[in-house]
Amino acid sequence: MAIDITSTTGVPEGPSVVRLPASVPELEPGAPTDLELMHAIQREDPEALSVLYDRYNGILKALILRVIHNEAEADDLLQEIFMEIWNQAKNFSAQKGKPLGWMVTLARRRAIDGLRKKQAYARAGERLQTETEQQPDAWVHNATEEEISFGDTRVLVRRVIDTLPAAQQEAINLAFFRGMSQREIAAQTNTPLGTVKTRLELGLKKIYDGLKELRDEL
Amino acid sequence: MSFEEFENQARLYVIGALEPEELEGFEQARKSFGQRAEDVITDCYSMHEAFALSLRPAKSSDALKDRLMSMVRNRQKS
Repeated sequence: MAIDITSTTGVPEGPSVVRLPASVPELEPGAPTDLELMHAIQREDPEALSVLYDRYNGILKALILRVIHNEAEADDLLQEIFMEIWNQAKNFSAQKGKPLGWMVTLARRRAIDGLRKKQAYARAGERLQTETEQQPDAWVHNATEEEISFGDTRVLVRRVIDTLPAAQQEAINLAFFRGMSQREIAAQTNTPLGTVKTRLELGLKKIYDGLKELRDEL
Repeated sequence: MSFEEFENQARLYVIGALEPEELEGFEQARKSFGQRAEDVITDCYSMHEAFALSLRPAKSSDALKDRLMSMVRNRQKS
């Protein structure tokens, strides 16, 4: 499948701007762009939300599941997040990024909030520690067998992430998908704080630069 | 703080991994670097999208979407 690096979301591509290698998924000719859908949602068009849901519910649910590891809770959160997208669409600005990025940021925040509440009630920290010890290199776990048109993008992004040493992947995984601070990661992994900071900085820089290179190559 | 240091911290900032004692310095640098700093932060948020796209999409039930759309339409009516 050819990867089109030009955005279908209508956000201008500047030369120094890191954008993902592909806008996902590939759109049917004539299908509304993400940005057009967001504008329609801002005008309170439910059909636009329906299309956006069909396009991205799989990615957002995967992200939520990666954080909270519970199917039923993930479904509840997914519904809440799309309601928030509907209610907060007026706050979206194309100048600040693409619609998918905005939705992912929103979903991650809600999922981590949900995880923290759950931890407060259920001492989930102990369970997370066990999971991390069992799966130190884990990043992609919540897979269903569903393979849809995100495949090529995922492979390209994974290629960038996979270049990182396992310790850097683990630190970023705990920070991004668990919402842990540097101190929490240091405690969780029994690693000096300075080492955690270095792992995060180096790992994130490599991902950032790698995504940029990927875009330039394509 | 140099601009390169600011860029490093911006990547931590967008994933919420800056420690409280680092935040004050970061915000000061953000103000002093102005629009250039805002552009870096916006770019760094692109990584959120990349992390999400590194995951294999998960399946949701049709009933979930029906519930969502019903809630949206009810909200529109009220």
